Amino acid sequence: MSENKFETVSSIVDSYQPNDEVFEELLNDAHLSSTWQRYHLMGDVMRGETSDVINLDLSAQIASAIAEETTILAPRTSNNMANKFKAKVVLFAKPFGQMAIAASAAGLMVIGVQQNTANNDAIIPASQVVKTMPFGGVAEPVSLNFQQASRTSEKQAFVEQQRRFQALLSDHQQQIKLSSVDVNKTPKKDKAEESAK
Amino acid sequence: MKLISSLLLLVTISTSVAANENEKAEPWLERLATSLKTLNFSTSFVVVKNNQAEPYHWFHGVDESGNELEILSLLNGPRRDVLRKQNIVSYIEPELPPFSVTSHQISGPIPAVLREDITELAQSYDFISVGRSRVLGRPAQLIRIVSKDPHRYGHWLWLDQKTGMLLKLALVNRAGQLLEQIQFTHLDITASLGESLQQLQQTTLPKVIEIPEGYQEQILQWQVKWLPSGFVRRNANRHRIASTKKPVEFMLFNDGLVDVSVYVNPSEDSQRATDYVMDGATVVLNQVVNGFEVSVVGKIPALTAKTIADSVVLIPKVTP
Repeated sequence: MSENKFETVSSIVDSYQPNDEVFEELLNDAHLSSTWQRYHLMGDVMRGETSDVINLDLSAQIASAIAEETTILAPRTSNNMANKFKAKVVLFAKPFGQMAIAASAAGLMVIGVQQNTANNDAIIPASQVVKTMPFGGVAEPVSLNFQQASRTSEKQAFVEQQRRFQALLSDHQQQIKLSSVDVNKTPKKDKAEESAK
Repeated sequence: MKLISSLLLLVTISTSVAANENEKAEPWLERLATSLKTLNFSTSFVVVKNNQAEPYHWFHGVDESGNELEILSLLNGPRRDVLRKQNIVSYIEPELPPFSVTSHQISGPIPAVLREDITELAQSYDFISVGRSRVLGRPAQLIRIVSKDPHRYGHWLWLDQKTGMLLKLALVNRAGQLLEQIQFTHLDITASLGESLQQLQQTTLPKVIEIPEGYQEQILQWQVKWLPSGFVRRNANRHRIASTKKPVEFMLFNDGLVDVSVYVNPSEDSQRATDYVMDGATVVLNQVVNGFEVSVVGKIPALTAKTIADSVVLIPKVTP
């Protein structure tokens, strides 16, 4: 009988799925539990998975540590409904509050615009342009410095141009929003009506 | 002989079919307008341009008292939301403090005219029903809004056969090249208002900004002499461009479907060659002639923008 139980423990260690009763029995029997622990330890040693220091009663230590820990009172769940409701209401107010952060981020925003002229470099944020782009990757003779300088100014002109295009694009979109005010069926009528007002 | 007659028969059949499909385009667009105005929908779409994708959420609904509610949010990057309660539209964006305007349409990636009576476009565009295909897992009808002249792009619309809703929108040039497209990725049509729209009902929108009377009808020094037919001036003012603080004379034109902005301002350079960039289908063109910078922005071909820019002239002072 007892021999049989040890065999059961052994087969559970080997990932055999027993029924709940057998498990219950195993958990309640201190002797069988320690057997379970030992079998695992044996397995670990044979597979070379043990750490340098084998701590045999780790589980006991953890159990006592948990027992000694002060109890933390969980927050009452009845408040949750109110919180949820509040969160929903705040949801739309939030974007307004985030404006300041968003505004500072706006400075960094670059809408990808593709350059259509011969100067077809990748789109680079303004701050990086001057320092990074290598000019061909070959050390250039001093006599070519003049050309290099002109290329740099070309780059600056390119950045300046990108900025200009970006400004125009966002202003265009802004003006459309403001111009859609009092829209009527046809723009012509709209115009007539506005002058009539 | 038989062969010729059968061929003739085939030709007549195919032309009559084409004619039939022509007739069918307008009802489809009318149905789209009705759907956009009356349905409670929750949908997501992606604007694809410059090898980038901008995802949006779009909610629309009509409440018990018949007021339209609408939310359009950009999901990537800094928050950009557009909220609409019937005829008040609020823009929440990183560049500016939130503001509202009195309008019954939001300005976003989807042309507002699709909600309206499209017959006003008939002057400049043809409507063609092309055929069926499958979009967003649904059977869809492809309708093309094709410019009558070469100065504009075409809009291709894929509409849900069941609900008439927009499933895909593409901007295509004359050569049939795709410039920009909006692909819907999800569409839910419900009987009642969605949760977000119910929240919007409870939300107080930012204050409506007052646009001074006549502000958008100012008399400017500069004039655009040429525009493709059908473009009407919608705005003319002097303002400073927000990011550069440069004062400009500004004009906005619209042909019902497309907006074109023209800017004129003095420049430090005396001459600068014409240059332009494309942001999807939107061209930004810029040139300096005799110390004046002229810029044109809009969803039009670069050549059209160039012709518009070249046509800008100083209004001659009245001399006896």
